[in-house]
Amino acid sequence: MLVNPNDSLERQNEKLLRITEALMRRVEQKSEESGLAYAQFERASLLEGRVSERTAQLERALDLLQESNARLGQANREAESAQKNLADAIETVAEGFALFDSNERLVLANSRFCRDLYDIKPRLSQGLPFAAYVQAVSESRELSLPSAVTPGDWAARRMSRHGDAHSSFNVELKGDRWLQVSEHRTASGGTVILQTDVTKILRAERREREKLQHGHAQMLRATIDHLTQGVAIFDAQARLAGWNDRLVELFGIALAPSAVGAGFRAVCERISASCRFVDRLTPEALVEWAGSRAGRSSLTFELATEAGRILEAFAQELPDRGFMISVSDVTAERQAARSLQQINELLEKRVEARTLELEDALAAAERANASKSRFVAAASHDLMQPLSAAKLFVSSLRDRVESPPALELAAKAGQALGNVEEIITALLDISRLDASKDVFDVQSVPLRAVFEPLRHQLEPLARQKGLGLHIVASDLVVRSDPGFLRRIVQNLLSNALRYTSTGKVLVGVRRNGGSARIEVWDTGPGIAPEDQRLIFQEFQRLGAASTHAASDGLGLGLAIVERACHGLGHPLSLWSEPGRGSCFSLNVPLCRGPHHLPEARTVCAEPDLTDRAPLVLLVENDPSLARAITIMVEGWGAHVLHAPSGEEALDLLAEVQLRPDALLLDQQLGPGMTGTDLFQLMQRRFGAIPTRLLSADRSRELREACAAMGLEFMGKPIDRERLGRFLAAL
Amino acid sequence: MSHDTRFGGASNPVQPAMPQPQGPRTAEVFANDADPVSALVEGLGEGPFALICLFVSPDGPFRAVTAEATRRFAPAPVMSCTTAGEIGRTGYVEGRIIAVGFPAADFAASAVMFRSLSASDPLSFADELVRSRLTLSASVPHMESSFAFLMVDGLSLKEDILAASLSPALGGMPFFGGSAGDGVDFERTRVALGAETAQDAAVLAVIRTDLPIRVFTLDHLRPTEERMVVTEAEPGARIVKTINAEPAAREYARIVGKDPDGLDTFTFAAHPVAVRIGNRHHVRAIQRVTPSGELQFFSAIDEGMVLTVAESADISQHLEAELSALANPQPPLSVLSCDCLLRRIEAEQGQTIRALSDTLARHRVVGFSTYGEQFGPLHVNHTMTGVAFYPRPASD
Repeated sequence: MLVNPNDSLERQNEKLLRITEALMRRVEQKSEESGLAYAQFERASLLEGRVSERTAQLERALDLLQESNARLGQANREAESAQKNLADAIETVAEGFALFDSNERLVLANSRFCRDLYDIKPRLSQGLPFAAYVQAVSESRELSLPSAVTPGDWAARRMSRHGDAHSSFNVELKGDRWLQVSEHRTASGGTVILQTDVTKILRAERREREKLQHGHAQMLRATIDHLTQGVAIFDAQARLAGWNDRLVELFGIALAPSAVGAGFRAVCERISASCRFVDRLTPEALVEWAGSRAGRSSLTFELATEAGRILEAFAQELPDRGFMISVSDVTAERQAARSLQQINELLEKRVEARTLELEDALAAAERANASKSRFVAAASHDLMQPLSAAKLFVSSLRDRVESPPALELAAKAGQALGNVEEIITALLDISRLDASKDVFDVQSVPLRAVFEPLRHQLEPLARQKGLGLHIVASDLVVRSDPGFLRRIVQNLLSNALRYTSTGKVLVGVRRNGGSARIEVWDTGPGIAPEDQRLIFQEFQRLGAASTHAASDGLGLGLAIVERACHGLGHPLSLWSEPGRGSCFSLNVPLCRGPHHLPEARTVCAEPDLTDRAPLVLLVENDPSLARAITIMVEGWGAHVLHAPSGEEALDLLAEVQLRPDALLLDQQLGPGMTGTDLFQLMQRRFGAIPTRLLSADRSRELREACAAMGLEFMGKPIDRERLGRFLAAL
Repeated sequence: MSHDTRFGGASNPVQPAMPQPQGPRTAEVFANDADPVSALVEGLGEGPFALICLFVSPDGPFRAVTAEATRRFAPAPVMSCTTAGEIGRTGYVEGRIIAVGFPAADFAASAVMFRSLSASDPLSFADELVRSRLTLSASVPHMESSFAFLMVDGLSLKEDILAASLSPALGGMPFFGGSAGDGVDFERTRVALGAETAQDAAVLAVIRTDLPIRVFTLDHLRPTEERMVVTEAEPGARIVKTINAEPAAREYARIVGKDPDGLDTFTFAAHPVAVRIGNRHHVRAIQRVTPSGELQFFSAIDEGMVLTVAESADISQHLEAELSALANPQPPLSVLSCDCLLRRIEAEQGQTIRALSDTLARHRVVGFSTYGEQFGPLHVNHTMTGVAFYPRPASD
């Protein structure tokens, strides 16, 4: 409250009037001089207020100014810094650097620019025109211009390259110093020049090249000197460029160092003087070859020196159109070749002589072998004839004696003769097997046809020894020679029965892939491993079983088995354990295809003549065919009397005084009578005997002749079945 | 009529390899010490100095101290004043002499004394000041910061006119100062430049430095709606005779709700009055009640002036906040300040003197308690004004 409310209204009113008066005086600025201080204060305060305001504005303006100043300063500093950086960067460039603007005025250059052209360096100030720069350089004392090039030429050429977007060239300075100058157009049409001091590089390169060339030359020289061949090198003008010592040595001619550059003709003449061209090439032709400038094809020629050496020379063009001739001393080689040829000829002669000798020896051996075979065959045959006769005699004798002792003697004699026959048959077999493989007649063979006759034949023997004999029936048909297969199994069985004292003998067959495995088991003493190979040799016998027949004792059975299996290709194996027994087995290939029909026929074709044992007279002058027929027919159980000719047949029959049950006559019997002749004689002497005429001559005449005589013709090769049917029908 | 001494800069160019400056150095000694100046010399350390300021408790032998100091610190100018209390290392103290030395390495200064204030034309001071300032400025162009510091006789009654006259002559240079005090006795306040001590005088120093500075003023008072009109006054003596046509003391007591017979300095400190000029308030502090019941002010008054009662915010919090703001972003090296006696009295009354002292010490404030503060062209009361010194920016 401005006035005290406790005062009277009059008092309050009076105070308000005085207050109002004071305020009005104040407002009217009626202060006395004494009030100056406050007035001053008041003014100062008002002023201060305005000053503060103005100051604030000024400060704001100042701040803005300072800010923009700061920005300006910053921008200036950046610009300065950028310029300085550029200058620094240019200065740090290892090359000389200069920049000309689009008006061809020098803008800036670093200290390395034109440093070596120190005489013109001071002239390189900012604003220098490019042309003036080029002229200054061209006139520099430091510039090394090629001879015949004036500074003006150089400057003109230099200026002509100035228009290029990029150019680079080398400038040579005095003292073998080199600058590589590259000039580039900038995007704004200015020109940048870079100068690189390439002195070191160029010098190093040059040194390297010289070193390399020198090294190459040395190496080449050493190589040439190292060669065992003589070498001469000629340049493109056929001038002697170099040679090695060996060449001089070979030709025996002296070549002074001054000979370098000598023409080929002169060189050739010198060589001709001491050497003779051996082959067709003449010195003139060689000179002509050398004279042709390019495209020479290689030449090889031989020279003979006066000292008797033979030199072989090889001339070849070099890439630079020069050529090289290399010369080798081939004297030794030629001599060696000649010696070799002589030796060769000598050897050939010796070989020829020796071959002849050997051929003689071989022929002799063959002759000997053949004669042995013939001898054995003949001997056997010769033995067989009287033996057959002896058997017949004994047989006749048994019919005629009556006293028991005499009968027994006759029986024993018959048995002994039988044994001898077996031995001789075995020997014959062996000799046949040894002589040739042609003896085999491989065909389809039903095993039944092999086994059944053996069962009949051997069962009595087994029974006699108290042994069990089991032959397992088999329907398999194999590929083999029926006669030899039967002989093989028969021998194995006989052998088994022979060596087995107690127990049994078993024959079995099992399929073994594409073959039949025929096994013959016994419960005999077995064969020690060390003896298993031995038993297949002739005349080997194990254990003592001398109670048997003599033929047993000779041990020919297994030898025949072994040879026959080998010849037929039937692998033979033996398992045996001493004390337990043995098993011989052989693999026989199975017959492919249907067997039933052939089997039936084959069964018929394999007659069993054992019971009647007819006597068949075979007259055949071919020994092997005779043997074959004999074995076949005897295999069927018949007896065969064989004679190679009609005359001998008649003698034989006269000797044994037997009438054969059948005749098998060959038509061509050598120089004597023919088969038909013999037939007629026999008919006259013995009456009608079933006869077949065997001949390879199937001519109509012969057939008709036979028909006329009532003689049945059987063509060769002999049909086994037909022959079997003929004999079975007796 | 004036004493002009110029030191520093010109003869002492800045050495390039100096240690980081510590700003002004301070020393503190009991005023009744047998040889206070030696202690101060020792405390400030080795010179040379561009300027020495002494704030001397009225307890001390002002003339002897200034003379001795002038001799000991020569050739540095020594400007001194008496105080109404000092601000030292521990905040508010009494009975001390505080010395502030400005090392010549960081500062250049010139000081002038203005004598016979009551009898002189203030414009002549301004002329003198301009010359002095320009000379200094030319001699140390690299020192870009500058401020003017005034010590003025606190009982001269001329501070208002002096400040208003000097301020324009300083050309925008920050300007602050304090009125010399005499404890709470209000009898004899003195200033000195060198060995010359004087009353009715002022000493002004123009100081340049390359350290960043900030000149500031703090006013923690806020105006209320309570107003009064000076109806009768004696402006030359700063005496208000009547307020609202009543005897001034009694009416003031009525309005602030106090016993008219118990008015004292504490009352004035607690219930200051201010004038409003434009939208700004300036405290017009009451110095004392005259025996005839009038009020004598610390600053210029006039008839017809409207006084507004101001109330105090928390002075301790306010000081802490303001000094912290000064320390942002970087704490100052030190702060030289002129702090109104009434603030100290207010704080004592509010029992926050300890907190205030701690805040001052923590913020490295030194200075003295004044009878009034100058800030720019204004002479005001119940404020704290001063300058803060900062380290050189790291980039320098």
